[in-house]
Amino acid sequence: MALADVYTRLAAAAEHCAPGCSPKELVWESGKLRLYRYLPTAPSSGAVPLLIVYALVNRPYMMDLQEDRSLIRGLLDAGLEIYLIDWGYPDGADRFTTLADYIDRLLAGCVDHVLAAHRLDALNMLGVCQGGVLSLCFSALHPGKVRNLITMVTPVDFHTPADLLSKWARKIDVAAWVGDGNVSGEVLNQLFLALMPFRLGHQKYIDLLLGSRDQAQVDNFMRVERWIFDSPDLAGSAFREFVTWFYQENRLARNRLEIAGRKVDLQNLQLPLLNLIGSKDHLVPRDASKALQRLVGSKDCTTLEFELGHIGMYISARAQREVPAAIVGWLAQR
Amino acid sequence: MHFALHTGSGVGTDSILAPLFESADRFAAAARNYLEGSQTRGPAAAAAARAFGDFLRVETMDLFRFPWSANPGPGGAGATAPPAMQDFPAFGPSREHQLRWQRSADAGRRLGDAQHRLQLLWSDALRDAAIAFAARLEPPDSSAATGAVPGVEALRGLYNVWIDCAEEAYAHIAHSNSFSSALADFMNASSAWRKESQANVELWAKALDLPTRSELNTLMRRVNSLEEQLRLKEARDPLRTDPATTAPPDPRARRPSHTRRGKRP
Repeated sequence: MALADVYTRLAAAAEHCAPGCSPKELVWESGKLRLYRYLPTAPSSGAVPLLIVYALVNRPYMMDLQEDRSLIRGLLDAGLEIYLIDWGYPDGADRFTTLADYIDRLLAGCVDHVLAAHRLDALNMLGVCQGGVLSLCFSALHPGKVRNLITMVTPVDFHTPADLLSKWARKIDVAAWVGDGNVSGEVLNQLFLALMPFRLGHQKYIDLLLGSRDQAQVDNFMRVERWIFDSPDLAGSAFREFVTWFYQENRLARNRLEIAGRKVDLQNLQLPLLNLIGSKDHLVPRDASKALQRLVGSKDCTTLEFELGHIGMYISARAQREVPAAIVGWLAQR
Repeated sequence: MHFALHTGSGVGTDSILAPLFESADRFAAAARNYLEGSQTRGPAAAAAARAFGDFLRVETMDLFRFPWSANPGPGGAGATAPPAMQDFPAFGPSREHQLRWQRSADAGRRLGDAQHRLQLLWSDALRDAAIAFAARLEPPDSSAATGAVPGVEALRGLYNVWIDCAEEAYAHIAHSNSFSSALADFMNASSAWRKESQANVELWAKALDLPTRSELNTLMRRVNSLEEQLRLKEARDPLRTDPATTAPPDPRARRPSHTRRGKRP
């Protein structure tokens, strides 16, 4: 591809990098948190609303990247009512926000708002990656408020052999790293890239330069590129707790986790569970997610594996065809 | 093949992509040398493959620098004590300052040592990658034997093989205890160096009566405690009807596109 052609296409693509494509309305906020309700695109299926709980790391618009790469749009087109939590961009004032604050106050506030708005006792919840961990904890602490729980690329057992991030984290003095501050999103990003540095740091750019002249592909590349490097800082206390309790001590899998003084016991999770796994996920290895099946008490636990990587689970063409349909079909039976 | 010829529009070599294309030029030249050298069998071919692998190893080492890599040289990471003070027992009016300088110097040394150990492991990974790459290279085809210039796809194929070898070698070392220990040592040394640097900054801030991070953290903890007490009080209030507390909207908050304000579905 000629250099001038590259510049032209990249510059054109940069103008299309909006964070998310589906219209939504702000329905509740608390501090930096924003709770959005997506505007319907199809007649309602009558299902209980679905609250999407994204990770604290990275931004949630990956699930609504562009019109033909949007899991959220796939769910909306099936008639589901979708809410999304946007945790925002923590700053220095949020450094002492803990996991208990995120789970028991902020996530709980979102759930209470949705339940009050729809006059329901329980809603459906979809937790993505670390958001799945938060969702599992919330569901275990507030079992009556979640009707069906879906986890997507969610680590549960943090000490599986293929988990490189976990191996690296175990010997780090997290308290010293955090100090009394926040953790830089940029530093975390570099750690994630260091998991596959040659493919993620070099080869993908060579493929871009030598690849197709299709403007749509360049647009898609630039949107994903924006998302990858749009990394919020992480509230220090919550980060320290998450790395120590989950990555280092594996408390969730060992049934030793407490949030705000209350035990998080996955055996007490009796609600229907759908666990979506990417078998090629290098960030959350499949065994780390698959462990959920043996740890929960629910008799209705379904595991679906897709031959996709971590990001592919959100934006690949295959994910658009299969993941929303799997979620909608599973919910329809419950 | 000369990648710089593709500028077309007159974009100069100082463009942001120029280093990438210069690297591609060097890669093409090294690949050409390898293909020419491997036309004869035996030691010459093996030497050509080794040379190509070593080129890739050296070329790739410069591509990856840790963003947090400090360069705690003289005048760099915090105040470093003059060499004569490094190991001198601390006493007298400057005792505290001397201890502070010594701690900063120690932290800087630890960081440098840890960084060096980590870079050695990276170098080992690249060395292993180069050896694997050389072993995996296919014998030259007939087009090479006639001296034909390798096309873009052939070079891209070689590059992809290199990436596969590099990732495999790196993964092998990255999963090892020695790597995770070295990485943890580097992170912990960085944390210690930053802590000493922060302490130095706070010392000067106090001297100028400027607010410090420690003071702000103390105030923030008090505010958090008050907020928590208020939340508990509101939760116990029997007259309270709204189950979800709402803080005033933050005027500095980013407002994404495609949004509108609504309270009920």
